[in-house]
Amino acid sequence: MQQGGEMQQGAASPGERVVVIGGGPAGLEAAWGVARLGCPVTLVEWAAFLGGTPVAENYAALTPNFEDAEAAMQRMIDRVSPHPLVDIRLRSQVTAFDEREGGGFTVTLSSAGDGSGTSTLDAGAVVVATGFQHFDPGRETQMYGYYEYPDVVALQDLEAMLKDHNVVRPSNGEPPERICFVQCVGSRDRQIGNEYCSKVCCGVASKEAIEVRQQLPGCKVFIFYIDMRMYGYWESQIYWPAQEQYHVQYIKGIITEVLPKDGKLLVRGEDTTMGRPMEVPMDMVVLSVGMEPSLGTRLTAQTLGLRQNKYGFIDAAYPPLDTVSTSRPGVFACGAALGPSDLEDSISSAGAAAMRAVVHVRDRSSVTAAG
Amino acid sequence: MPVAGRKQKPTAVELESATVVSTISGKEWELPGAWNRMFEQRVIWDYTTEGFEKIGALPGGESLEWCYGCSKCVPVCPVDIVGEYGPRKIHRKVQMGVDLFRDDDLWMCTTCMNCLRVCPKEVDMIQIMPAVREVAVGEGLVPSELQDVFEKTFRYGNCLGENPRRRAAWTRDAGVPVRVLASDPAPVDVLFYVEDYWSHHPRGQQAARAFARILTALGVDFAILGPEEKTLGDSQRLAGEKGLFESLMDDVVATLSRYRFNRIVTPDPHGFNALVKEYPKRGHTYDVQHYTQLLAPLVAGIGWKRELDVTVTFHDPCYLGRHNGEYDAPRALLQAIPGVRLVEMGRCRENGYCCGGGGGGMWLDGLTGTRTTERLSERRVREAAETGADVLAVCCPYEVSRFEDAAKSTGNEHLRVLDIVELIDEAMGNGAAA
Repeated sequence: MQQGGEMQQGAASPGERVVVIGGGPAGLEAAWGVARLGCPVTLVEWAAFLGGTPVAENYAALTPNFEDAEAAMQRMIDRVSPHPLVDIRLRSQVTAFDEREGGGFTVTLSSAGDGSGTSTLDAGAVVVATGFQHFDPGRETQMYGYYEYPDVVALQDLEAMLKDHNVVRPSNGEPPERICFVQCVGSRDRQIGNEYCSKVCCGVASKEAIEVRQQLPGCKVFIFYIDMRMYGYWESQIYWPAQEQYHVQYIKGIITEVLPKDGKLLVRGEDTTMGRPMEVPMDMVVLSVGMEPSLGTRLTAQTLGLRQNKYGFIDAAYPPLDTVSTSRPGVFACGAALGPSDLEDSISSAGAAAMRAVVHVRDRSSVTAAG
Repeated sequence: MPVAGRKQKPTAVELESATVVSTISGKEWELPGAWNRMFEQRVIWDYTTEGFEKIGALPGGESLEWCYGCSKCVPVCPVDIVGEYGPRKIHRKVQMGVDLFRDDDLWMCTTCMNCLRVCPKEVDMIQIMPAVREVAVGEGLVPSELQDVFEKTFRYGNCLGENPRRRAAWTRDAGVPVRVLASDPAPVDVLFYVEDYWSHHPRGQQAARAFARILTALGVDFAILGPEEKTLGDSQRLAGEKGLFESLMDDVVATLSRYRFNRIVTPDPHGFNALVKEYPKRGHTYDVQHYTQLLAPLVAGIGWKRELDVTVTFHDPCYLGRHNGEYDAPRALLQAIPGVRLVEMGRCRENGYCCGGGGGGMWLDGLTGTRTTERLSERRVREAAETGADVLAVCCPYEVSRFEDAAKSTGNEHLRVLDIVELIDEAMGNGAAA
């Protein structure tokens, strides 16, 4: 019955505020969850808009279901924005973070948008959903020429073209007849420092390959890979249809250099199953860039004093059965702030973080009430 | 090697020695002849979807493109172990622009189905190969030795080019009367569909006679079509002659319609496959058994007269085992024979190794011989010999002659190759089978 009393206590009093940092898919899900569980929530977003990377980077369709990315994000936003318990702060960032006497935190926000300057919030718990950024292919040790050749693009560049239904070679504005994807750019690489697999790029590249084939049926699409990692249902949702229905050509063997030749790009690598070198002309080369912690993730981890792993992502402190608690009690993280993550996993961990944040707040409330 | 250079096809250089001079340092290298072979084209210049489009447009051909390169098929492919061939490799070659319709690889597959058994993507060579071969046949791109068999089949109704009037000649020395329906068309229980090799090949005829004696001893009411019998032509179908197969089917169905019988029993797993899988697709359904399936339930009624005292290993025919799921009937027969000790080869039952005769392989020895280190039958005979067996038992008419040749060519003459009916016949006291 003691537990029931706690529940009532929590339900009767809205309790302390939860601050969610980051307005992308994970942050929107966490904020919605916290609000629906009856806690006031402040959603802090650095950018001037909500929706996170899918909106900022002009994603065309979400993996794996090909839902329009902007519409899907808008649906998440529309669930959160009108909620009476949700307070949204755009163009804001957390600049200071202090433990309050007796528990809880004081969160200092710096807001660029409304000219209000800095403000402080009392928070019972914090959810960090600051996400990832795409690997910068300029750092790649292979000679891909991302900044040299206009027709070498990255996954997100092609996303923007697909969104506009205007897949063309940036060099001449012509639709490409041959596109290839190069996998594992910036991932699984000790020299670069990213030894991890970025999880999503195989699926995203295959999804984009399907979209290219849909928009440009005459365009031949090739994917050069080390090994295909479309785990779980993505195997049959994306990989097999790409190959069997959209005739995307998968070639095992990675490209190690891109060279200009006769107005095209010559991709060079080894075809590992044939054990032979390959030099194949392409109109466009798409680099399947991996995930790195976003600047927001790095800065937030520092400001909040959260332990980070060697790659800069926020450490989940008690894996595998607690995926969202950080090294600092009361601060939870979710989505790609914790490491490479697809949308499905980001949303799941956001729900877990919201639940744990609310539990944390209510446990404190009941302790306070009892004391 | 051209690096982003001109795409001129390099020619093979096979000089005994060559001197290479550096254009930068002026330094000279002497290269021995073996190295100069490296100047052959190494670089892959393109991948193409055209082959997949062409093959995918054929009924049954679409699954070739589904291969994701796991390579589970290659270790179980009976051809790869004796030569450079495998379903995964076919996929890659087509992706690299090899025209399968004109490539020797098209004729290497024996349609043994071991690749399909393990394929996670269900790439179906049993449909792909006949579909592509059918086009090749239509364009005249057939190895001449196979074309010769197609013509013999068309002209004589059997792959051996034998006079069809001699189809029942084997019955003369059977020692028991064998009823031929044309001369005695009364209804019969078992229509014994003898097929080509038991009708015409000397070693097959011995098995046919043994089978007739066994049936008679068991009191089975049976008869044959004799000169009216034509081959069912399933291997010709799989080798690309679907038209010939269908024309044979018309003849066979017309012949069968003239007689009343309860079931068809055949010693040939290929013919069996045609009757149970292909004929029903075109509306012709019969009660069909392989001879081992007829005999296995009757084995308790056999009056044994002799204990053989032999160690026997058994080779599963691809078209009885993998294709049609019958592994137990032949073994039940072997184990019932007094004095037979059955030992299994490592590759048996579902993973049985192919003798090389299926899918037209029976008639492509000239082509496959130039592309393999040894015949599949030779490989198999060596496996059989390694078991220590005295006898390699078979129940497919292709195999006795294939394996006897292979036993000789591999120095395993001590290994007797016998059809199961020959062993039964011998144990029933009907003379030595070897």
